[in-house]
Amino acid sequence: MPEPVIEAAGLGIRFSANRGRRRGLREVLAGLRRGSRTGRGAFWPVRDASFRIHRGECVGIVGKNGSGKSTLLKLIAGVLIPDEGRVEVRGRVAPLLELRAGFNGRLTGRENIHLVGSLHGLSPEVIDARFDEVVEFADLREGYIDMPVRHYSSGMKVRLGFALVAQLDHPVMLVDEVLAVGDEEFRQKCYRAIEGMLGEDRTMVLVSHSEADLRRFCSRGLYLKNGALALDADIDTALRAYQEDLRAEGEQRGGTARGPAGADTPAGGDQAA
Amino acid sequence: MASRALAVWQNRRVVSLLVRRDLKVRYQSSILGYAWSMLEPLAMAGVYFFVFGLIFDTDRGVPGGADAPGGYPLFLISGLLPWLWFAQSLGQAPNAIISHSKLITTMRMPREIFPVQAVAAKFVDYVFTWPVLLVFAAALGGRTSAWGLLVWLPLAVTAQLVFSLGMTFLLATVNVLVRDVERVVRILNRVLFYSSAIIIPSALVLESDRFPAWFVTLFQFNPLLGIFKMHHAVWYPADAPGALVLSTSIGGAILILIAGYATFRRLEASMLKEL
Repeated sequence: MPEPVIEAAGLGIRFSANRGRRRGLREVLAGLRRGSRTGRGAFWPVRDASFRIHRGECVGIVGKNGSGKSTLLKLIAGVLIPDEGRVEVRGRVAPLLELRAGFNGRLTGRENIHLVGSLHGLSPEVIDARFDEVVEFADLREGYIDMPVRHYSSGMKVRLGFALVAQLDHPVMLVDEVLAVGDEEFRQKCYRAIEGMLGEDRTMVLVSHSEADLRRFCSRGLYLKNGALALDADIDTALRAYQEDLRAEGEQRGGTARGPAGADTPAGGDQAA
Repeated sequence: MASRALAVWQNRRVVSLLVRRDLKVRYQSSILGYAWSMLEPLAMAGVYFFVFGLIFDTDRGVPGGADAPGGYPLFLISGLLPWLWFAQSLGQAPNAIISHSKLITTMRMPREIFPVQAVAAKFVDYVFTWPVLLVFAAALGGRTSAWGLLVWLPLAVTAQLVFSLGMTFLLATVNVLVRDVERVVRILNRVLFYSSAIIIPSALVLESDRFPAWFVTLFQFNPLLGIFKMHHAVWYPADAPGALVLSTSIGGAILILIAGYATFRRLEASMLKEL
């Protein structure tokens, strides 16, 4: 068996409940005195997750909102540091957690392609060579490429983002719900680009609420339930287990009349994370 | 630690790219661009010359005597230009990481890049002020020496870079977790300005008997005092720092960098959770 491309062992991360809110100095000092650093409201969005992903696999992560899918992806991407366990990635990673990442509204599309391309680790020569392809893929209207990105519509920004990402040749791709952007025509283009990438024996981890996307690309599924890895199986089994749990929950909550539609259906596009 | 420094070095292209992006964005949005960045130090120098040079026409204690080449105006400018470099570094230090939260949470790169980039961008601004300094030095009849240019200037700039980088690591990290940092910085900016002998020759404190000995000693423990004495010494050899001031400024700068970077590494994991 060759070495896995992504290997996680006992992976866990702890957040405190009042996360995302900077505290005043007084609160911090008071907190230190009471020793509440570990106490009040700490929770584990991901804990004790162990898995190995091999080259060429496409793995989908399924689970409800708040079950730790995005956090797990960020841990693999290395933009969060685990409190427990470890995760190792062999090979260069393209973390596609947000398509518009790195774009600066005051720079032109051309300048942004160079900036973000470099941030992704492409050399200037490579960017120059692929520049026209990016612009063509993004399908911008005439002249827009030399306009500041703040004048773009949000759809244009996302298209430019995807067009750039499609040119990356990183062996490991981490994708957070960024597939299928724009109108139907562009979506088909995105799908073809992703299938092309997978055809090149690259490794992909995909977080999505779209069952169709998951079935289309993934061979294997990781089912996350309350931050724990509940099931590691082929994608159909993982999705089935997830839906069964949803149905069971729906029945428990309000009888079968409402069905799982009232809960968080996998097709729902809600991505609060 | 060495491997992290190497990682930043490998990403130097990203650093220079971000620096250039900052400069581009800044100079693009104002018509006068470069002229603006010069107007502030010149206006400040004018104001201080008006107040201390003309109104309080006292013994200003310019190093080397009142007849030293360049006089008080050049003393002001040669102190204010590097001071503005420091003040602007300090002012933006708390935001060096927060303002890039989007990049940090979505791209995989060493987080050290952002403080380094912030310091580098301000350093480039400072380098751009040199033509103006040279024009004034020529007009005011300032004179420098090989010793000043080859020893004091590089030493001053290096020490200031190290000190600013340490401060930026420290303040940028802490500011993600605690929100009082910006207020502290505002006060610090004021206090350091008057205690680092930017517009007031340090001899007025160091060689005066108006202050108790402990205060004079404490005064010399400010690393910036030595740094700015060196900046002045490029034009006023008499302002060259003594052994104590020299060692506190170089040692202090290195200590701040170690403390700043240690803080950054220690809090990195919790910082990422908050971004």
